[in-house]
Amino acid sequence: MPGFDFSNYNRNVALHAKGVPLPKATSTGTTIVGCIYDQGVVVRPDTRATSGPIVADKVILLRSQSKFNCEKLHYIAPQIWCAGAGTAADTEFTTALISSNMELHSLWLGRQPRVVTCMTMLKQYLFRHQGHIGAYLVVAGVDPTGIHLFTVHAHGSTDKLPYVTMGSGSLAAMSVFESTWKPHLNRKEAIELAAEAIKAGIFNDLGSGSNVDVCVIEKDKPTQLLRNYLKPNERGQKERTYRFPKGTTAFLKEKVITKEDIGKYVTVQELSSDEDVAVVEKMDIDT
Amino acid sequence: MAINFRDGVILGADSRTTTGSYIANRVTDKLTQVHDTIWCCRSGSAADTQAVADIVSYYLGMYGIVNEEPPTTPTAAALFQELCYENKEMLKAGIIIAGYDKRHGGQVYSIPLGGSLHKQSYAIGGSGSTYIYGYCDMHWKESMTEEEGVAFVKSALQEAIKWDGSSGGVIRLVVLTAKGATRHVYLPDDGYKGPGAK
Amino acid sequence: MTSLLQLQSPDFETIGYSFSEGSRPGNKEHGFYPYTDNGGSTLGISGSDFTILAGDTRSVSGYNINSRHSPKVFKIGGDDETGEGAHIILSVVGFAADGQALKESLDGIVNMYKYQHGKPMSVKACAQRLSTILYQKRFFPYYANAILGGLDENGKGALYSYDPVGSYERVQCKAAGSASSLIMPFLDNQVDYKNQYVPGSGEGHALERRKPEPLPRSTVEQLVRDAFTSAVERHIEVGDGLQMMIITASGIEEIYSPLKKD
Repeated sequence: MPGFDFSNYNRNVALHAKGVPLPKATSTGTTIVGCIYDQGVVVRPDTRATSGPIVADKVILLRSQSKFNCEKLHYIAPQIWCAGAGTAADTEFTTALISSNMELHSLWLGRQPRVVTCMTMLKQYLFRHQGHIGAYLVVAGVDPTGIHLFTVHAHGSTDKLPYVTMGSGSLAAMSVFESTWKPHLNRKEAIELAAEAIKAGIFNDLGSGSNVDVCVIEKDKPTQLLRNYLKPNERGQKERTYRFPKGTTAFLKEKVITKEDIGKYVTVQELSSDEDVAVVEKMDIDT
Repeated sequence: MAINFRDGVILGADSRTTTGSYIANRVTDKLTQVHDTIWCCRSGSAADTQAVADIVSYYLGMYGIVNEEPPTTPTAAALFQELCYENKEMLKAGIIIAGYDKRHGGQVYSIPLGGSLHKQSYAIGGSGSTYIYGYCDMHWKESMTEEEGVAFVKSALQEAIKWDGSSGGVIRLVVLTAKGATRHVYLPDDGYKGPGAK
Repeated sequence: MTSLLQLQSPDFETIGYSFSEGSRPGNKEHGFYPYTDNGGSTLGISGSDFTILAGDTRSVSGYNINSRHSPKVFKIGGDDETGEGAHIILSVVGFAADGQALKESLDGIVNMYKYQHGKPMSVKACAQRLSTILYQKRFFPYYANAILGGLDENGKGALYSYDPVGSYERVQCKAAGSASSLIMPFLDNQVDYKNQYVPGSGEGHALERRKPEPLPRSTVEQLVRDAFTSAVERHIEVGDGLQMMIITASGIEEIYSPLKKD
């Protein structure tokens, strides 16, 4: 069945009435900005997700799979990208859904996907859910009609501007744009301006921190993702080593299972060396 | 706000969008086109009014194609009212509709919060409107020239911006006549003198 | 002239029309909230002949930074505003204004003691007096977690930790403030050697615990710095600078070093 599962709704309302707190979704305290320049758009988020005062997720997975390598940059189409703030799960699932629908839509039409289409789909979806889906997005991209930059708020309102900011650091970032932005920026100036805006968010907003990712979308060029474009917050070097001698941890029982023992139940595979361990999971199929 | 004048209608609005005390957009376009010469002024929740305007724009577009003639302003106003009235529990939308069509000439309609529909010679709405009821009443004249009409709307909006904290930014106008739509922008830099019509 | 109100303001201004449903008067609770949590963390470790008190220098409110250079560790009973001649140090974390007030009041009392008795107040006496100051405001407390440091009558490092209403105890090490839950387990493990056993000393329950020994000053300084650089990584209210005060028989040394500013 499509849509959300409401089967626990009544139970949860009853629990909440008795004073049980609702589970808190991870909210990405973040700074995301977008800026148009003469040939394209720059979108960039800082790379910290916070849940309350403890930093929940600070460094991004170093895996580079096409879609999920950036925490706050979401793929919509090759030339359309989103930066998300607000409830982490909502930004992730909303953009994934719209991305899927955009692909089907452009396949159906046989045309390049347009940024306004994406923006309209997002606003209609978010409006339908009346702000309960807490996704605050910056939508940017290039399509046959030109360069576009939008913001979409959780309640479904949209704005079209030459430079935008969102998230908890949006005020700090906007102060940089409002004081230094000028029309007709070139690529280098746009990236630098956006970097300054993000840095204002990183340093002056507690919810934002760590590094800067950049996504540059240009006409007739492949979209460039610059992961950790700036790393102004490297970890302080530890002064002591915290390796424990073997046997420091107490245990009550020790049991050694030999290869021969375990081999009766599972297939044991010998690994050649410590380095470049390639674990191949083999599945036996009836032939 | 929107007014009737001799040759048609003029719509006007400031450009401020706020989230609490933060200005989310200082150059908002609150004058939204829903057909060639039917426009509206949106106030209230940005999300709600955008959604309503998008739906009306869709219906009027279909209407124009199916009937092979453009919709009239009362048709558009009735559509807006239908949406605002039937969904009044969910919407925070105060909309002014103004349009020009061959049959009726220029017309102004206002739909305040409950979803009622009022045909008026001029209409004001939104948070800043309370400051300019007296001003508008004092200076209003029937059948103004375009020049007089633009001056009336602009000066009224200047007053609203001056007194209302949630209004501000630039002044945008749209003039709707038999000749079509013309946009005007007036910047605060030089006391809302220019640049005027584009 | 219109304002497009939107987003997370459920009770935003409604324009004077009455609704059957929406016209319920929104009862807004008004109250006086005299306390703010200014965040930050402090930490104290005592050694055989020294005591270290440290704190970060960031002061926050909500998601905003009030100051990046706001000290949390103070000299108590000094002859002038530089704190020259002091032999007791105090760290406070929580509500900064209360922390300052607490420090001012204790400083005044310690100085008055000196003038009246012609000798400096002992750390033990000062510790008891601080407890009294805190408890006097039992029903309108100082919103601060204090740690008092100095050298005891035998010249050993002395460290006292307090709750906001005056309960106190002498401890060997203590972390307080917003990142205390991150720092304290680290201190338990690295200072008291909790959960550490001597390898090969026995089997099962007979395994011997690793005995804590007084740590040298250089090691303690390293632990303090590592505790803070790590806390900065995982707590947003900690950062900007690290202030360390080391009290020894030869006086008080103060060291500032930078921390991450994001």
